Amino acid sequence: MKTSPRNTIYQTNVYKTGSDDIWNCLTCNLCYDECPQGVDYPEFVKEERDGNVESADLVHKGVFTLLSDMMVDLDKSRTSLEEAGNKDSKVGYYPGCLDFQDMFFNVDADFSSIANSSMKLLDRMDLDPKRLQMKCCGHDQLWQGDRTTFDKLKEQNTKLIKESGIETLVTSCAECYRTLSQDYDLPIKVVHISQLLKDADLGIDSNVDVTYHDACRLGRHMGEYDAPRDSLTKAGANVTEMAHTKEKAWCCGVSSMMNCNDKSKALRKTRLDEAKKTGAKVMVTTCPKCLAHLTCMKNELESVEDYDFEIKDLTVFLADEMEGKKDE
Amino acid sequence: MTDLNLNFEPNILTFCCNWCSYAGADLAGVSRLQYPTNNRIVRVMCSSRIEPTFILEAFKEGADGVLITGCHIGDCHYIEGNEHTDERMKDMVNALERMGLGERLHLEWVSAAEGKKFQETMINFVDKIKALGPSPLEHKRVE
Repeated sequence: MKTSPRNTIYQTNVYKTGSDDIWNCLTCNLCYDECPQGVDYPEFVKEERDGNVESADLVHKGVFTLLSDMMVDLDKSRTSLEEAGNKDSKVGYYPGCLDFQDMFFNVDADFSSIANSSMKLLDRMDLDPKRLQMKCCGHDQLWQGDRTTFDKLKEQNTKLIKESGIETLVTSCAECYRTLSQDYDLPIKVVHISQLLKDADLGIDSNVDVTYHDACRLGRHMGEYDAPRDSLTKAGANVTEMAHTKEKAWCCGVSSMMNCNDKSKALRKTRLDEAKKTGAKVMVTTCPKCLAHLTCMKNELESVEDYDFEIKDLTVFLADEMEGKKDE
Repeated sequence: MTDLNLNFEPNILTFCCNWCSYAGADLAGVSRLQYPTNNRIVRVMCSSRIEPTFILEAFKEGADGVLITGCHIGDCHYIEGNEHTDERMKDMVNALERMGLGERLHLEWVSAAEGKKFQETMINFVDKIKALGPSPLEHKRVE
């Protein structure tokens, strides 16, 4: 079956029948970037999905959705790891749902290490960060069509951020960055960690061949293509671009925990092949979901394909290089 | 607080595997071993059938405690199903602890011959949940 955005919009607006296609959309903004008329299809899909979360085809049987759903009702529940760092700091680091991903993803990726590495890097930059304890940012709920839960999470998180007294919120996740800066109305500055890393002198000279996979939320949604590349170049890494890169970068296929089907798997396989062609030793990304799903695919294909590169988060890569852990 | 707890009758959802613990529950029944009536038993073919979503859904729908029972390690009808359960439940308890529900999930191995153990497990678990009080997701309680 072919997906046609034009047909979907036509059916929805003219015949009012709706279409299942709205659940197949990756909301990766690639079509929006290409569209000569500037039709914001992902935004249309988001609005159409609103209130119909039951029809969503969720991966992992919706365990993350249920967790965030319960989080709304439980005062004490927090998604982040324990609060750490300087309590009176003006810089807060928000790890997002990394610890939950550690619990429910059986892929060979250590998600908590993203949070730890980010803290190490922020420490090195003398920012004296504080690790925040907040609830889930609600990105997935918003894009799955559960706006009621999203609004509650937004309200609760905004309150928690105001209480914490921070002035800058740093996040290492592309989805959290998009959600906190675009869909929340926060009175404080929200930055992605790569935007700090590009100007920081970490004293790394790694000389590793890497390739960078653009996360759709950081790249096309937020327009941040250069910061992650600059931080890699600054650390001495040789960045080789894949066939599809920057504005044309391919999606990992599972944004907002939906549609882990054969089509999105084919997308990931193509992406891995592209990374293999660059000859890079490490494939760097900035989104934990890209990391999880590309690693999962890489493990799945282990017996038939020979991918001799690692997939790492930007912060993990830089922190490992900083501490002198060389990849074998 | 204590007065409240005296009147509190928890809703407990129990998952039993077909081959060991459901037979264990059966044995407790035919042996006329008395245990509290707060639980509802759901029979599954193997304890590894229980997905994380089952447990989360149970809490969401108003369970005060969830008890998972299965064959002893090594006795699984499907060779190693309960080893997966064991692994999964550790993650599950971790996740629930972040929500303040960690103590409300319990895993116990009960064989088909352990009717007595089934009774004791039930009594202890109900006592534990009674001491903990109603689930924090209280407004969704079913009566």
